[in-house]
Amino acid sequence: MRASLFITCYNDTLFPETGRAVLRLLERLGVEVEFRRGQTCCGQMHANTGFRGEAFSQAKRLVKLYADAEVVVIPSSSCVAMIRDQYSGLFEELGDEALRKEFAALVPRVHELSEFLVDKLGVDDVGAYFPHRVTYHASCHGLRALQLGDRPFRLLNKVRGLGFVPLENLDRCCGFGGTFSVKNAEVSSAMLAVKLEDVLRTGTEFCTALDNSCLMHLGGALHRQNAGMKTIHMAQILASTEDHPVELMG
Amino acid sequence: MSAVVEHEVVAEREVMTEREVMDRPILDPALAPPFPVAALPLLRNLQLRKNVAHAIDVIQAKRARLVAEKPDWQALRSAASRIRDEALQDLGAYLEQFEARCTAAGGTVHWALDAADARKIILKILREEKADEVIKIKTMTSAEIQLNPFLEANGVRTYETDLAEIILQLGEGEPSHIVVPALHVNRGQVREIFARRMGIENLSDEPEALTAAARNYLRQKFLSVPTAISGANFLIAETGSVVVVESEGNGRMCLTLPRTMITLAGIEKVLPRFADLEVMLQLLARSATGERMNPYTSLWTGVTPGDGPQKFHVVLLDNGRSSILGRKTERQTLRCIRCAACMNTCPVYRQTGGHAYGSVYPGPIGAILTPQLEQMRHAQSLPFASSLCGACYEVCPVKINIPEVLLELRARVTDQERKQALRFFDPLYLGLRAANLIFSRAWLFHAAQRMGRIALRLFTREDGWIHALPGIGAKWTQTRDLRGLPDQTFHEWWEKNRDRGNKGPREKGRKRTSDRGNKGADGQ
Amino acid sequence: MSESSSREAILDRIRAASGGGQNPAVTAEEAAQRFGRLPRDYQVRGELTVRACQELFMERLREYDAKVVECAPEELGATIAAQIEASGRRRFIAASGDPNAWLVTAAWQITGFECDIDHGLTVTEIEQAEGVITACFCGVADSGTIALHHSATEGRRVITLLPDWHLCIVRASQIVETLPEYFDRCKQPPPELVTWISGPSATADIEMTRIKGVHGPRFLNVIVVNDREQGPGTK
Repeated sequence: MRASLFITCYNDTLFPETGRAVLRLLERLGVEVEFRRGQTCCGQMHANTGFRGEAFSQAKRLVKLYADAEVVVIPSSSCVAMIRDQYSGLFEELGDEALRKEFAALVPRVHELSEFLVDKLGVDDVGAYFPHRVTYHASCHGLRALQLGDRPFRLLNKVRGLGFVPLENLDRCCGFGGTFSVKNAEVSSAMLAVKLEDVLRTGTEFCTALDNSCLMHLGGALHRQNAGMKTIHMAQILASTEDHPVELMG
Repeated sequence: MSAVVEHEVVAEREVMTEREVMDRPILDPALAPPFPVAALPLLRNLQLRKNVAHAIDVIQAKRARLVAEKPDWQALRSAASRIRDEALQDLGAYLEQFEARCTAAGGTVHWALDAADARKIILKILREEKADEVIKIKTMTSAEIQLNPFLEANGVRTYETDLAEIILQLGEGEPSHIVVPALHVNRGQVREIFARRMGIENLSDEPEALTAAARNYLRQKFLSVPTAISGANFLIAETGSVVVVESEGNGRMCLTLPRTMITLAGIEKVLPRFADLEVMLQLLARSATGERMNPYTSLWTGVTPGDGPQKFHVVLLDNGRSSILGRKTERQTLRCIRCAACMNTCPVYRQTGGHAYGSVYPGPIGAILTPQLEQMRHAQSLPFASSLCGACYEVCPVKINIPEVLLELRARVTDQERKQALRFFDPLYLGLRAANLIFSRAWLFHAAQRMGRIALRLFTREDGWIHALPGIGAKWTQTRDLRGLPDQTFHEWWEKNRDRGNKGPREKGRKRTSDRGNKGADGQ
Repeated sequence: MSESSSREAILDRIRAASGGGQNPAVTAEEAAQRFGRLPRDYQVRGELTVRACQELFMERLREYDAKVVECAPEELGATIAAQIEASGRRRFIAASGDPNAWLVTAAWQITGFECDIDHGLTVTEIEQAEGVITACFCGVADSGTIALHHSATEGRRVITLLPDWHLCIVRASQIVETLPEYFDRCKQPPPELVTWISGPSATADIEMTRIKGVHGPRFLNVIVVNDREQGPGTK
């Protein structure tokens, strides 16, 4: 199987170590990974701020770029949700029949990372070793839009050495919400404070999730507060082994 | 398509002081400050946040328990959604049917284009009845049209009879929730209001005592005021009936004892058939108050000789609803049955309470309903007052996809705003335009990343983190650090280490992936 | 704007909003047909036995602090008398329909109580009553609801509203399990005047503390008359 990695604009720029982790993980599982240089952004930021035309042009670009990919893997639930939930509306409004068809053919082949592992590869034990105490934050897109369900838990469960502590109020939004974090920064911070109470109460070393967007928001505050907890994308946990422990940056 | 009024620019409001917002929150969307401005002083009010969180946590927990015990909950939601859509699909026909049946049963049906029209009609009826007082059952619709101040100015005293509405009326406050409007007020505050306005000495702050005070205060009003005004939870087209759902019994008092009854109802309240209630009533109380059924529900049809008011008027209110009907994605907004489950579950509402929304309809439903009722001339900040978490959609009994409507409204607001000259220089608009250009070509994207990395080095401290950014970035760094941009983007790393025809480097002791055959993967 | 032109304007807007696709006046038959086609995946029929359903009904009422007793049909008069006596009240009103025969029987059994039948009592007279006795149309177990359709045996709405104590006679044969079953019993034609009672009046407006008895009777008493054949497995 040849998987095309869509790293996402913000991971490419801010969290390249997540990309490297996905690569290491998938190759370890026998998946050939390719990386298409033309990739930029899925258009979510523009779509969510009401810039429909712009979002459309980015969406079109993405569909064209991956039209012949066997499978596309994305370590970001919000980007997958964008593609699954908003692309068809955009194409209906602004696209043509040919483009809609191309998209319809592509979308079943687009997977979020945990979906790819559990559903496509049929594994929950990825041979990972991560001897730390960890809690898991369910990003809203993963939880509701993608209905990831127990996939992340099944994967974490099989990581050797990992001490899992569940997060209370798991279904409550952390307050990131994309541009919301800036347009409504104060409310976003209030929501963040509430979320951090639950996160810190787990007494764990790491808060993990399938989205670096939420983790950037949570981790940014943890760092500001010198709270002694870090955030880490689940790909990095799953990629971690005894021989190649997790790459931690910053 | 109905005529859409051109969007006007609303000037940025000055920051309101906390005092101002708490004393007299502005719930007129035409005058209210934008959400982020209104929210700030409310966020700083810890007592308010505590009251709101407590109230909605209680209702949410009760609701969740009842939903868990109802195996056909999702089937009920689907049926309710379809019933509401059916009503909206043929709204004109059902309204006419309602009018015919209600009239045949002795009621009089009026049609009001907008708030001013409705106020005029109601005042006219009151003048005909020579009424100088009215008792009222709680109805957010009357708050929407700002009825009370209008009546008071025209010599008609209004007496709210719902406990929460009394608290607000006597305390000169504003509603912050559509089902529990005074949830932001705690018992000490209620005690103070009642003691002062009802003239009661030694009033305790126990809820029992406060409720008893209200009961006594109202009894005489119920027995003596001959004119009442209500809203409607539902209008039944098949029979011309009105349905009012309540807990306290003040509704029953107002719709039984007076001589003249006026019901004000939005046109979207209509249900096609009496039997549709079997679905709606199973959902409403569970969603609104976390009970299997609310204590009292009343249904009446026109006038019944010898029982209840002998004069009955219905005022059907449009006030922007018909404009929502014409829009494919937004139409679902009108399915709403005003249960408030959305705001009870909303993590944003939990932090700010209702007054931040500048409307009698706050929370997620308010964020989509209010700007649309204003025909997108006001309340444009509301569709952005959401992190799009989707919790509201999960709990909505009629399955309104609120996030979908929020996104649609954001697009409409942006389309209008970007035409304005002054928006061109708005940092957010500039940034998003630039971002779009950057994302359109990989080389531009890569160049921008390099430039960004260099620029941000200025702000990156020794520990590799950014603690303060200027301009719009300051909104982030107010409360969060940002990790400095890594020296290499992922694609730069890939190019350097991997870009040899997409074959991975040999790892010690392992074959190339392409040589591995089916190892690891499940034969795909 | 005159009212009729407001009406036309609103209907025009609605018509235009549906792109002219709105059906001309939907007939009742069409509406009924559409209702029939509606997927009804939600629970319609009850699943409990008759006895279990009745017990659920009584349990739900007790959860609302209603006092519930059962009796055989021939014991009704005596049971009413016992309830009245236990209430400590003396002035009652009753609905004007048939079952006031119960009260005549009951009257022999206690002294010192007055009962006015509602043949047009004034509000003042009703306000002075301490309790009211009525029958009902239906009881719904799932929600603990008593449905009054305000027939002669159920009384005008005002009599179950003003007095503080309400004694409601529910025949076991009137009890259904689900709300759809209740609606099934009153579809043709639908009732014109209804009050659904699912507990005493309450408010949670002050700090979400539930306080009972704001307006309307604070005390609800129910006698369930076992008027039907009940084998253990009867559905």
